[in-house]
Amino acid sequence: MNEVILMAHVAFGVACLLATVWVFVDVLNAAPANLARIRRVSRAAAVFMWLAFVIAGYWYVVFYHTDKAIILKGPWPFAHNFFMESKEHLVILLLLLVTYLPITAAGDLAASPGARRVTLWVAGLIVGLALMMEGDGATIAMGVKMGLLAR
Amino acid sequence: MATPENNGLTRHTAAFGLALAVASIVNSLLVVAKEKSPAVLAGMKNLTGHHWITHSVIVIGLFLLLGAIFARANGGQGVRFTVTGLIRTVVGGVAAGALIILGFYLLGD
Repeated sequence: MNEVILMAHVAFGVACLLATVWVFVDVLNAAPANLARIRRVSRAAAVFMWLAFVIAGYWYVVFYHTDKAIILKGPWPFAHNFFMESKEHLVILLLLLVTYLPITAAGDLAASPGARRVTLWVAGLIVGLALMMEGDGATIAMGVKMGLLAR
Repeated sequence: MATPENNGLTRHTAAFGLALAVASIVNSLLVVAKEKSPAVLAGMKNLTGHHWITHSVIVIGLFLLLGAIFARANGGQGVRFTVTGLIRTVVGGVAAGALIILGFYLLGD
């Protein structure tokens, strides 16, 4: 069950990433006709991110200590010491950015080039950070595997 | 409401953008503080049962609180930014926060 919880957090993270890319492309083509959709999808991105964050937080507090012990005893201790330690704090930046995205998207993006630029930058930061988080997570998971293989 | 003075930016976009930059820096400084000070780490653990939960609550709470405060600045019109200034503030805050965290765990921990 704890593996399902972990995979759910990854799935919601990917959903957030995809929604944000959608917002980015839609904002490039912002017009009165797609403003409502931009706002809906930006809110969806925020919901997905909050779900990913809360699920991950629960898994981290309740289950991660087991994986941590395996990683630290294995050949890839950096998977925890650097990748997990930085990920658990960088993800808070990501959460703030995704929470901010619908705020920027609430402006009149069709009429305001400035509002569009801000939203595009925020979406771009989200995509970059989200990809980094995915990579960190993969490295942490590999650290567990390396630790188990070394037993 | 977007006004010409705000270059089409709503007061919440400007306010929460600044709040985000500040919260990003605080997030990274809190990492350094709790990792370097056992007393800070223990205090954060005692508040909610886990230091990471306390950390998250503090940073998210700060973001929301500062955003609300900044939105009411200047007699209710909110903090003022040019578009470029706001983008630089947000990107700079996030970049600085991320670099402090990465640098700390790479070199300083």
